[in-house]
Amino acid sequence: METLISLNVFNAFPLAELEVGKQFYWELGSLKLHGQVFLTSWFVIGLLVVVSVLATRNIQRIPSGIQNLMEYALEFIRDLAKNQIGEKEYRPWVPFVGTLFLFIFVSNWSGALIPWKLIKLPNGELTAPTSDINTTVALALLTSLAYFYAGFSKKGLGYFGNYVQPVPFMLPFKIIEDFTKPLSLSFRLFGNILADELVVGVLVLLVPLFVPLPVMALGLFTSAIQALIFATLAAAYIGEAMEDHGEGHEEH
Amino acid sequence: MMYWTFLLAEEGGGLFDLDATLPLMALQFMVLVAVLNATFYKPLGKALDDRDTYIRTNQSEAKERLMKAEALAAQYEQEAANVRRQSLAIIAAAEADAQKIASQKIAEAQQEAQVQREQAQKALDLEKQEAMRSLEQQVESLSRQILDKLLAGVPIG
Repeated sequence: METLISLNVFNAFPLAELEVGKQFYWELGSLKLHGQVFLTSWFVIGLLVVVSVLATRNIQRIPSGIQNLMEYALEFIRDLAKNQIGEKEYRPWVPFVGTLFLFIFVSNWSGALIPWKLIKLPNGELTAPTSDINTTVALALLTSLAYFYAGFSKKGLGYFGNYVQPVPFMLPFKIIEDFTKPLSLSFRLFGNILADELVVGVLVLLVPLFVPLPVMALGLFTSAIQALIFATLAAAYIGEAMEDHGEGHEEH
Repeated sequence: MMYWTFLLAEEGGGLFDLDATLPLMALQFMVLVAVLNATFYKPLGKALDDRDTYIRTNQSEAKERLMKAEALAAQYEQEAANVRRQSLAIIAAAEADAQKIASQKIAEAQQEAQVQREQAQKALDLEKQEAMRSLEQQVESLSRQILDKLLAGVPIG
């Protein structure tokens, strides 16, 4: 309570200010949208699409420049999916897992690297799309749908056999897991990115020069790690749903 | 309490403010997956796979060619060894021939020389006998002459 009040006192400081939980609302009929999230996510999506188009516009056998970079990214994503899902099944899931990784990674880094706050909005401020709970919950729910789809398309109704796989005793825990998986996925990402932005914001508020730099570097590191964790876990859940013997749980 | 409002979805705001952003973001993400699948994963994945097969076929071809070259090299080496052995044999045969011819020639020459020497000896012997004979005749005639001269002053009878 007191710290929050003191934070509010610092709001009088002219160099920086901290806004949390204020949204830039758009009205779409009776629906309310977070405009700032869409603006930055469109930037991220546009960046990804432009880079992809540039990388694949003129494909060479000997790659160079941006094609090389994106091939490196693609090989990284393929390795990730292959490790988690398995050699046989991973190929159709590369676009989903890869887009999760790329979208989250570019979102996180755009929040850390691009000075969004220079662009003034009437209300709220531009931040990484992943520091909004809507984005992370959307991605986590899509992951849930993806692994259900993977399980059902591979085994049909036999997918429910996964729930009693090692011992029937596991059934309630497995059902709870279906809820905790998206919950932990979304909150882990949301919490990490928001906390990172808040820490940097608070430090900038207190000492505007040099001192926040190590924390910012750390923020870049955690941002990358969070993207990797989200994509890896999504792939692991998908792989687990398609596994023949329901075993091997991973929690981070 | 007013500072806590940012945590709650009151007054149209807050950290945990779930609204229509969520499904639209999900939709938008699926569209992004589709777009990236068309512009990024498919073409670049195809490029990677093509390059893989290209490298693999090239490598197997190169291996095949290397094997062929090694087989050829071994064959040529064997042939070279054969030829060397043959040439050695030919040289040895030629040397033996030459040796034989040389010794034969030497023997022939020696024999001829022997024969010639014998002939010469024979001719010499013949000439010597003749000379001796003529010498004997001359001795006889000379001794007769001498005798005649000696006996000239002496009246016969």
